[in-house]
Amino acid sequence: MSIFFLLLQQELLLTAIIFVLLFVKLSTKQWNSQTVLSFVNILLVVNLAAGFFFKEKGTLFGDMFQTNDLLRFEKNILNLGTLLISLQAYNWLLKHKHAIEFYLLMLSTLLGMFFMLSSSNLLMFYVGLELASIPLAALANFDLDKKRSSEAAMKYIMSSAFASGLLLFGISLIYGMVGSVNFTDIAVAASENPLFLFGFILLIAGFGFKISAVPFHLWTADVYEGAPVAVTSYLSVISKGSMLFVMTSVLSTVFANLLFQWYNIVAVLAVLSMIVGNLFAIRQQNIKRFLAFSSISQVGFILIGMSGANIESHSSVVYFVLVYLFSNLAAFAVINVISEASGKENIDDYKGLYKTNPALTWVLAIALFSLAGIPPTAGFFGKFFLLLGGASKGNYLLIIVAALNMVISLYYYLRIIKAMFMDANETPVEKLAISWSPKISMAVCMAGIVVTGIISGAYEYIYSLLK
Amino acid sequence: MTASQIIFYLISAFILSMGVLSVTSRKIFRSAIWLLFSLIGIAALYFWMDVQFIAAVQIVVYVGGIVVLIIFSIFLTQQSGKEMPKAPLLRTIAGALAVLFGFAFTFLLIDQYGFPAIDQPFDNDVARIGNAMLNTEQGGYALPFEVVSILLLAAMVGCIVIALKTKPEEK
Repeated sequence: MSIFFLLLQQELLLTAIIFVLLFVKLSTKQWNSQTVLSFVNILLVVNLAAGFFFKEKGTLFGDMFQTNDLLRFEKNILNLGTLLISLQAYNWLLKHKHAIEFYLLMLSTLLGMFFMLSSSNLLMFYVGLELASIPLAALANFDLDKKRSSEAAMKYIMSSAFASGLLLFGISLIYGMVGSVNFTDIAVAASENPLFLFGFILLIAGFGFKISAVPFHLWTADVYEGAPVAVTSYLSVISKGSMLFVMTSVLSTVFANLLFQWYNIVAVLAVLSMIVGNLFAIRQQNIKRFLAFSSISQVGFILIGMSGANIESHSSVVYFVLVYLFSNLAAFAVINVISEASGKENIDDYKGLYKTNPALTWVLAIALFSLAGIPPTAGFFGKFFLLLGGASKGNYLLIIVAALNMVISLYYYLRIIKAMFMDANETPVEKLAISWSPKISMAVCMAGIVVTGIISGAYEYIYSLLK
Repeated sequence: MTASQIIFYLISAFILSMGVLSVTSRKIFRSAIWLLFSLIGIAALYFWMDVQFIAAVQIVVYVGGIVVLIIFSIFLTQQSGKEMPKAPLLRTIAGALAVLFGFAFTFLLIDQYGFPAIDQPFDNDVARIGNAMLNTEQGGYALPFEVVSILLLAAMVGCIVIALKTKPEEK
C-alpha cells in the first residue's frame, strides 16, 4: 500500500493542494487575498521540495501509470516553472477577484501534464492531454474584462479541439491496426503499413499543435498576445515543455521502428519552425507576440536535438527545456512587471528602459542573450548540445540551416537590447518599484541561467538519469 | 449486400446528411436540432452493433444532456431567429475540397490495407464495463476514470469563473 503513495507522490500532493484550495474557496470565511496568495506559494514550495525526496520507480494500475527517475526530474522542472510563474503573477493576482480559481485551473493542467508524462498507453496520454489543455482555455480568459483575452480563449479552445480531433482519429487508426493502446504493444506492431503511418502522422500533428511547431502554429501568436502575461508564460514554458518531454520519449521508444520516417518528419518541422518563427519574429511590434514567434523558432531548435534519437540527444532536449524555462521566465518576469505597472507591451515602449530601470533591463538583456545562445549563458550550451545531438545523424545540411537561423535570431534579440540600452525615448517607462515576489523569481531565473550554463553538473545529471 | 449492410449504410447516410445540414444551416438553432438528429443516428449505429449499453449512454448523455445544454446556451446568448451571414464562396469550395480529399484519402487507405484484428468477439456486458471502470489491476480503468473526474471539476470551475464575469458598466 505504501508503495502506491510513494509512486504517486507528486500527483497526489498536487491533487491534495487542488482540494485544499477548493475548500478554502468554498469556505464561508472571506480570506484576505494576501494571506491566500502567500499560503498558495508556500504550498507550491513544499510541492517542489517534496518532489526531490523520493526515488521509487515502477508502474501502477496495470499499465496505466509509470514513474522513474527521469520522469520525476521532468516533473520537478515543471513544478519549479509553475512556482516561478506563480511568484511573477503575485501582484496581478492580488487585484484579481478569482485568484484561487486561477490556481485551481493552473494546478489541474499541471496534474494533467504529470499524467501525460507518466502515461504508458494512448488512453492515459489522451486523458492527460485534455486535462492539460481544456482548463488552459479558461485561464487564457482570465483578464475577464478584456475582449482580447476572451478572443484568445476562444481561439485556443477551437484550435485545440481541432487538434484533439486529429489526434483521436490517429489514435483510433493505430488502435485498429494494433488492437491495443499500450505503448509496448504499439512498439512491437509499429510497421510501415501506410494506414499505420497515417495514424502516426495524425499523432504527430497532435504533438505539433501543443508545441506549436510550424505548420501547426497559427494559434500561438494571437493566444499569447491576448492572454494575461502569467498565462502566456505558462503556455510557452510549462505546457510546451511537458509536451516536448513526452514527444521525445514516445518517438524514441514507442516508434523506434519508424525511425527513418519520423526523423524526416521532425527534420522538416524543425526547419519550417525555425525559418517561419524567425522571419515573423523580426517584424513584430508587440513584445508578447514577439516572444511567441521566438518560442516557435526555439521549438525548431529543440526538434533538431530530438531528431538525433539517442541518449545524448534526449538529454540535450531535457537540458534545453530547463535552460529555456529559466531564460523565458526571466524575460516574462520583466514583461509582467512592466505590463502590470504601466500597461505597455510594445517593443517601442521599451526604448530607453535602461535610463529608468537598469536592473530590469539587465535581467531582460541576460534572458535574451540566453535565448539567442550567446556564451557564457546557459542558452549557448543548450543550443550547442541540441545541435550536437542532431549532428549525430550526420545530416549536416540540417545543422547548417540551424546555425544560419541562430544568426538571424541574434539580430532580433539584439534589436530589443539595442532599444533598451541605446535608443532615446521621450516617454520611457517610469522608475518602477519591484516587490519581493517577482524579485525572487527573477533572482532564481538569473541564477539558473548562470549556474546551469557554467556548471556542467546539470547536463551530466540528466544524462545519468537516462542511462 | 445483406440486409444488415443495407441498414448500416442507411444509418450512416442519415448521420452524415444530418451532420452536413447542421454545418450548413444558417440559423444556429436549426443547427443544434440537426446535430441532435445526427447524434441519434450514432446511437442507432450502436444499437446496430449490438452494444445496447453504449447506445443508451449515447442517448442519455448526448441527446438528453449536451444538446439540451447547447439549446439553453443558444437561448441565453444568441438571437436564435437571426440568420448568420453566408460563408464566402471561396471558403465553401476550399472546405468541400478538403472534405473530399480527406474522405478519399482515408477511404482508399482503409480499403486497401484494412484493419487486421477485426471480427474479434467482445463482451460488452454492463457488469463487466462497471467492473473494469473501477478495477485498479491490469486491464482496469480506475485511473483514467478518476482523472476525467478532475477534468470535469476543472472545467466546471473554469466555466463558472468565465460566466461570473461582471459586465462593464452599460453606457
